Amino acid sequence: MAESMQLCNISDNNFEQCTKCSICTTVCPVAAVTTDYPGPKQAGPDGERYRLKDPAYYDKMLKLCLNCKRCEVACPSGVHIADIIQQARMTAGQGKRASLRDTMLANTDLLGTMANLVAPIANAALGLKPTKLVMDSMMAIDKHRTFPAYSRTKFETWYKRHAASGQEAMPHHVSYFHGCYVNYNFPKLGQDLVKLMNAVGYGVHLLDKEQCCGVALIANGLYKQAKRQGTVNATSIRRSVKEQRRTVLTTSSSCTFNLRDEYPAILDIDTSDVRDSIMLATRFIYNLVDEEEIKLIFKQDYKRRIAYHTACHMQRMGWQIYSIEMLRMIPGLDLVELEQECCGISGTYGFKKENYERSQAIGSTLFKSIEEAKVEAVATDCETCKWQIEMSTGLPVENPISILADALDVEATRRANGLK
Amino acid sequence: MRMDTVIMGGGLSGLTCGIALAKRGKRVAIVASGQSTLLFNGGSMELLGNIDGKAVNAPLEAIAALPQDHPYSKIGADRIAVLADEARQLLADAGISMEGSTARNHWRITPMGIAKPAWLTLSDHLRLDDLNNLPAKRVALMCIRGFFDEPNGMLEHGLQGLGLEVKKVEFTTDDITALRRSPSEMRASSLAKHLTSNNALKRLAEQINTLAGDADMVLLPSVLGQNDDSDVQMLQGLVSKPLRLVATLPPAVAGMRMQTLLRHYFRMLGGNYLMGDTAVSGAFDSDRLASVTTAKLGDMPLKADNFVLATGSFISRGLRADYERVYEPVLDLDVDADSDREQWTRFGVLEPQAYMRYGVATDGNLHCLKRGKPINNLHAIGSVLSGHDAIKMGDGTGVSLLTALAVAHDILA
Repeated sequence: MAESMQLCNISDNNFEQCTKCSICTTVCPVAAVTTDYPGPKQAGPDGERYRLKDPAYYDKMLKLCLNCKRCEVACPSGVHIADIIQQARMTAGQGKRASLRDTMLANTDLLGTMANLVAPIANAALGLKPTKLVMDSMMAIDKHRTFPAYSRTKFETWYKRHAASGQEAMPHHVSYFHGCYVNYNFPKLGQDLVKLMNAVGYGVHLLDKEQCCGVALIANGLYKQAKRQGTVNATSIRRSVKEQRRTVLTTSSSCTFNLRDEYPAILDIDTSDVRDSIMLATRFIYNLVDEEEIKLIFKQDYKRRIAYHTACHMQRMGWQIYSIEMLRMIPGLDLVELEQECCGISGTYGFKKENYERSQAIGSTLFKSIEEAKVEAVATDCETCKWQIEMSTGLPVENPISILADALDVEATRRANGLK
Repeated sequence: MRMDTVIMGGGLSGLTCGIALAKRGKRVAIVASGQSTLLFNGGSMELLGNIDGKAVNAPLEAIAALPQDHPYSKIGADRIAVLADEARQLLADAGISMEGSTARNHWRITPMGIAKPAWLTLSDHLRLDDLNNLPAKRVALMCIRGFFDEPNGMLEHGLQGLGLEVKKVEFTTDDITALRRSPSEMRASSLAKHLTSNNALKRLAEQINTLAGDADMVLLPSVLGQNDDSDVQMLQGLVSKPLRLVATLPPAVAGMRMQTLLRHYFRMLGGNYLMGDTAVSGAFDSDRLASVTTAKLGDMPLKADNFVLATGSFISRGLRADYERVYEPVLDLDVDADSDREQWTRFGVLEPQAYMRYGVATDGNLHCLKRGKPINNLHAIGSVLSGHDAIKMGDGTGVSLLTALAVAHDILA
């Protein structure tokens, strides 16, 4: 009786369990660079008590939250601080229309589809100084930013033309949620995954229907559209896992976190029955090697020094250990694990003019540690961290899957796994 | 996922044990559910501070007389001096420079101005070796305008009680004033983040040099040096008088520095620090622990030859209590605790509290017990252990450091 009373007294977002220790505020990258943001304790559990009393206590400065989730990772009491803040923003934003700029930044797939059609023109135009200045002044997209280049051929198109026919013959099978970045900007990452999985006997399949996971829609307050797209994805993922018995692999930490955790927490889409079968490819591959189900053979002459950056959502998922340990399997790779700091971009946040300076200030500690690491490249599982680090340090940034594919001796690996 | 050793808990004891093992080439993973209570530490370590309410002068002698169930007795009182030197060396290797001796306690000053016995104190923090021979006659106590984390009046009163002449100086700089725009920013950790540029430190030094007057030592709240001691050293170089930091209310910058440096050192040695993950259950294979499942790694449990429980006490959720019992939540291990709930607490918050001595039951080698039987590849270290009292005995950090090293030796043997 007493026990159940205690349990009944805890809200879904467990804000009552905050002990006011302030540890979350000590790790907040936004509070570290601006006094405008009240910090996660104040914005989250403290503010929630006021907001429950009267919604008018909502503080508009909550829009400065990056949703990096570092407060939740640091909290010794397991309070879902960032969820509290996200939900407060969602409640306060109801009935308001997102600006053209936010709608454009959020619709990564719509933008991608249009840009792919005219990729060379779009890339050239987006890179031009006049275009940047117009975007800066008319749309408040900061002029320092470079839009990621658009690919001429979508990953899905490449897959259907060059890869699809060979997949069924493989002994094992997985599905691949490629995400907008791989589809429109960087198909090579998807191609690397197909190459890697095929070399160890796994056929890679697209989902019935894949839409943008919606991480940028949520960040820009377009919840209804996010929920619509999320429902389509959840249906496709469920069919892959339940009917086709295929695990769904991903190569973006933010898409993965969104599909697994934000769908139920923010969008109220229940994915609990398939959650365990949605995972980053690095986790899947590491586990296969660890369980001695597959073998990876690496090139003899491979030699590089690379720093690993843990993206915020990767840290929130707690999966950096898989990417790091997978990279450490490569004999010629000298891996430096960087201190876990936010790079400051947080998806579309850093693209907005009003956030540019703050975004760079947040990332400055990370950029300095990358410089000090004296490496030739940086590895990370997040595409927006990649843009930010490339722009801010000048070093190339690669996904661990691409690094693994590059270091792999494909023929020797195929033979070692019993493939012809 | 296979490791040589998996440590549950990423605070002082977990990191110390992890570092000692990783240094010897072991593959180690630390599962750390959130930041640890090290963030409440004002910059000192203690071996043994009090017995029956009386301050201990010579900790090694007092340790020899502790009862059999104290963790120090289980390690062996004769090993304490050697392990303590090893701990100090490990801290120094991580970049944490501390001073003190195992032969004789010195005094640290709490934010409330109370002198408490300590073994080691950060080199840049206030330390009194001998209350009859103070390091200064007149001190300037620099009080930051609008600062939340230092009860200045109490600190002044406490220092005066020790025989110091205290000149309280309220001051601010442009950098500090800018922070006051947000009331929640006037905390030690926020100041430490914003007072890092050379110019901010120069402005701070100018104010101190102007206002310190005829004091022969300057005391500044510990609001500098979150990642290492370089900012403090720079300020010490710019201030014309000797400058020492005094502990603030938590979260403490000194504790953040120690946690950051230890974690960084562990990672440099190739250790895996799983920040924000929690061990939730374990699978046993007769008298051994085979694997531990964590909240984030889910259906891929951590397998290892050895496991270490360093999950801390009640505040860190290493121990839990409901209306009926005190229990260990991850593996349901045996605990030393009163079964009668009436005995857990005593009226009066400052009175000795029985629950402070509760913890996981262990054999003479700190192996955990489950249903009375030792689990031969599972040790417990630090605050989760029973038989000591961090508040009343002042033995918390010492037990964390020394049990961690003793267990690391046992695993490596």
